Amino acid sequence: MKKIRLTPLFFRRVHKWVGLILGLQFLLWALSGSVMALLDKDKVGGHGGGMAHSHPLPPGEYFDIAALPQGEPVTGVVLRDLGTRPVYELRTPKGIRLVDATDGADIRVDEGIAREVASMMNEAPIRKVSVIAKPNLESRDHEGAMWRVDFADAENSSAYVSLDTARFLVMRGDTWRTWDFFWMLHNMDYINRSSFNHPLIIFVAFGALWLSGTGFYLLFKSFSRADFRWLRRRRKPVVVRRTA
Amino acid sequence: MAIRWPLLVRRTHKWLALVVGVQALLWTLTGFYMVAVHIDTIHGDNLVRSPVAQPFDLDGLVAPSKVVAAMPGVSEIRLQRLSGQPVWRAETPEGARLFDARSGAPLADLTEAQIREQARRIYTGDGKIVSVRLLTKAPQEMQARKPPYWQVEFEGWNRPTLYLSPTTGELISRRHALWRVFDFAWMLHIMDYDERTDVNNPLLRVATWSAFAMALTGAWLLIWSFPRRKRKKA
Repeated sequence: MKKIRLTPLFFRRVHKWVGLILGLQFLLWALSGSVMALLDKDKVGGHGGGMAHSHPLPPGEYFDIAALPQGEPVTGVVLRDLGTRPVYELRTPKGIRLVDATDGADIRVDEGIAREVASMMNEAPIRKVSVIAKPNLESRDHEGAMWRVDFADAENSSAYVSLDTARFLVMRGDTWRTWDFFWMLHNMDYINRSSFNHPLIIFVAFGALWLSGTGFYLLFKSFSRADFRWLRRRRKPVVVRRTA
Repeated sequence: MAIRWPLLVRRTHKWLALVVGVQALLWTLTGFYMVAVHIDTIHGDNLVRSPVAQPFDLDGLVAPSKVVAAMPGVSEIRLQRLSGQPVWRAETPEGARLFDARSGAPLADLTEAQIREQARRIYTGDGKIVSVRLLTKAPQEMQARKPPYWQVEFEGWNRPTLYLSPTTGELISRRHALWRVFDFAWMLHIMDYDERTDVNNPLLRVATWSAFAMALTGAWLLIWSFPRRKRKKA
């Protein structure tokens, strides 16, 4: 076996072969990175949460909290306003119970409530309302069953509203959908699109280090003084004119 | 004159690399760091205990209407615990406040001793507390979060730091060395050297498309890089 000598030729070969094997992903990283940089982050949206409207609670009496539990232990109580009426969110080992905070009646988050909550986030007309039992790709940062409310606007926006709490979860539009496709190409998690710490990407990223490392090294070997002659040539006439 | 494609493509590749080479190197280096260290570690999930859900005794608690009356504009009232005692946490546009859930009295801001106790309770490590400070100016690592908050730093190579709310004592953020490296790597990755948040800045846009052209010409060069004539002389 030949001994490996760290010559420019050797690095050129590494560059070439890593380029052949991982070059496509490098190209996809550059492309997806470019597109994500181009898509307006405000239109993509969906980051950071806290975008839901909060409504001040009306003054007055509320349903007695001591009468809320129906025999089950209560691990949390939240009083908030849906925008139309105040509600209690009761956390129990069985899940979350939503209770009308004025009369104590259980509330089922029906289509009407889902429409109301979603409309507070988007004034466009509603095209379609549906229930999903599990989060989909667009609402993957949340849990549980939810309403999907589709709007007839330019972005084809969809609002997601929790079926348990009636809370607005997230709004997704076509810009986000485009962004998310390229984000998938970028993080190489082709199924869930959420993880960027899986073995495949770690392996390819490690390989890409060799591509960029050898490439960077080769820059120093690929340029000669002659490559920069055009810089000097341009300067000369200026000098001549000045002395004349 | 006929265009000599291999030469033209090679030159383009070379010159583009001269322009974005350093950034391409930085992208792969920072990218590798970000994929290699798990995001949960970066977020510091292992530094803090998640609160255990314990049942509340709802008898004898002050009605939330008292809290609404005391704090007009409140949008959400939540029952939680502070040092084992039930409290109502009232959320307003100006921030959150606590009320004793048994007496209904508003609770004063937490003292340094309470903050220390709270930080100890949340932190999973057993390192000592190195410093406790009430900050009124946001450090870089707290990004857009508005002060004031308590900064509690623990002993350790990674300098784990918890940020707690002065009014409610709850955990706002946790930071540590790997997070700080990640944040720096992210800054280099998206080329926003001021705020570290703008992924649409013009510099990044020009650099990414240049890198794309560099990668594309590189891929193109592969056609001529593996001569097909190679046949071993037997």
